[in-house]
Amino acid sequence: MEIQWSLVLFTALTGTAGWMYACVAADEFLKKAPKSAFVASIVAFVVAVVGGLASVTHLSHPDRMLNALQHPTSGIFVEAALIGCFCVCVAIYAIMVKRGVSESVRKVVVVIGAAFGIALPFMAGESYMMEARPNWNTPLLPLGYLGTAIPAGVAAYLTVVAARKEIDDAKPYAVTLLVGGVVAAVTALAYGLSAGALDATTGMLLALCVVGAGVVPAACGAVLRTKANSLLALAAASLVCALVGAVAYRCIMWLITVPVSDLFGIVL
Amino acid sequence: MSRYCLVVDLDRCIGCHACEVACKNENGIALGEYWNRVIQVGPHGTFPDLEQYWLPVQCQQCEDAPCVHVCPTGASYRDPETNMVLVAKEKCIGCKYCMMACPYGVRSWNAAERAVEKCTLCGQLTSVGEQPACVAACCSACRFYGDLDDPSSDVSVAIANADASAVHTLKDVGNAPTARYILSEKTAAWLDVDEIEAASDSADPAWFRKEA
Repeated sequence: MEIQWSLVLFTALTGTAGWMYACVAADEFLKKAPKSAFVASIVAFVVAVVGGLASVTHLSHPDRMLNALQHPTSGIFVEAALIGCFCVCVAIYAIMVKRGVSESVRKVVVVIGAAFGIALPFMAGESYMMEARPNWNTPLLPLGYLGTAIPAGVAAYLTVVAARKEIDDAKPYAVTLLVGGVVAAVTALAYGLSAGALDATTGMLLALCVVGAGVVPAACGAVLRTKANSLLALAAASLVCALVGAVAYRCIMWLITVPVSDLFGIVL
Repeated sequence: MSRYCLVVDLDRCIGCHACEVACKNENGIALGEYWNRVIQVGPHGTFPDLEQYWLPVQCQQCEDAPCVHVCPTGASYRDPETNMVLVAKEKCIGCKYCMMACPYGVRSWNAAERAVEKCTLCGQLTSVGEQPACVAACCSACRFYGDLDDPSSDVSVAIANADASAVHTLKDVGNAPTARYILSEKTAAWLDVDEIEAASDSADPAWFRKEA
């Protein structure tokens, strides 16, 4: 099947935004990087909106898009609801940070928003689980969506923290980035191998995904533990590589799918 | 609850494609698009013991229709009066999830209207007591239309007259297709849809382009 770039970008960007905001939530509780909270929230909001807009370009009738809220059992409804709720929470939180609203209220909003953000990449992958597509119909697929979003989101957050010169507050995230990279590599590898991504193209994409979303962020996380002053360079490198890896993972899914049958597509 | 569907007796189908043409004419389907298509299965076996049959395919009116489940807008829906799976094109946003979710690939993309379509069992005809166009046009009288839950319907009678071992459905992956196919061993061995390959050398796209 052809790669559906709109959906690849949608899931990669919204996943990144979700995990980026999860880091904002963690620092709200840890009382770290206060100068980054507003900027990181705005960046997460913009990335999520851009991702959402990318998904709209996939539709032939975006004018009828609001009808997508009529059928709550569909995966698209869940995705739309999650991204809508996520953006609302992030926007409210950013306003509260700017206006100096009390911490306790901010914590409630940020936790709810982070829950939506963390769920987003998993549910985006889960919506592709269908009996008609055997090598999509495994929980390993959404786990890979979730796993590859972690290093991208963490690296995006660290890039903002570095730009805001709160390097000391980023120390706990060295391990987070390392673990996120390992999770991304393991989950991507597990799905890719189980689904049979072993031909020249998908095999190369799988390697790109494991290295980009897994090895590079993990290595950067390891280096960051001793070289905190290199935060901006390491975070930016991790972000670029993790995004490439996340995109590669999603491309594999589209290229590898084989339906139970495609009777109208058979060449006679 | 009714279960309207088509039953096709493959022991009698001669592969003339009249059902396909009648469907296109009745429903105004563009070139290259299908609501109903006749697949040639085989020949398979070892010469001289070869066998072959034709498999007309269209929406199988699944009881647990995945297309209805995944459709975000309700454009793919089950009609509350007839219990048929239908498409309300004016609600379709063109996400194509239903096409991905159909285990048989028998949904059609209407390029002009940028919406998904499929066999409607010719509701415009059956609602006034006529037969679907494919059934009316079938020169070997191998197609039947009716309610599986009505023992006196054409489909129920056709199934009752066939040997139980000769009645098949397309591969069920949890969707419970309603349409039935009658194919007895004396004609050919039934193949699941995931085992079907395009017939003979016409499977080669280069050959197809050359002949076209």
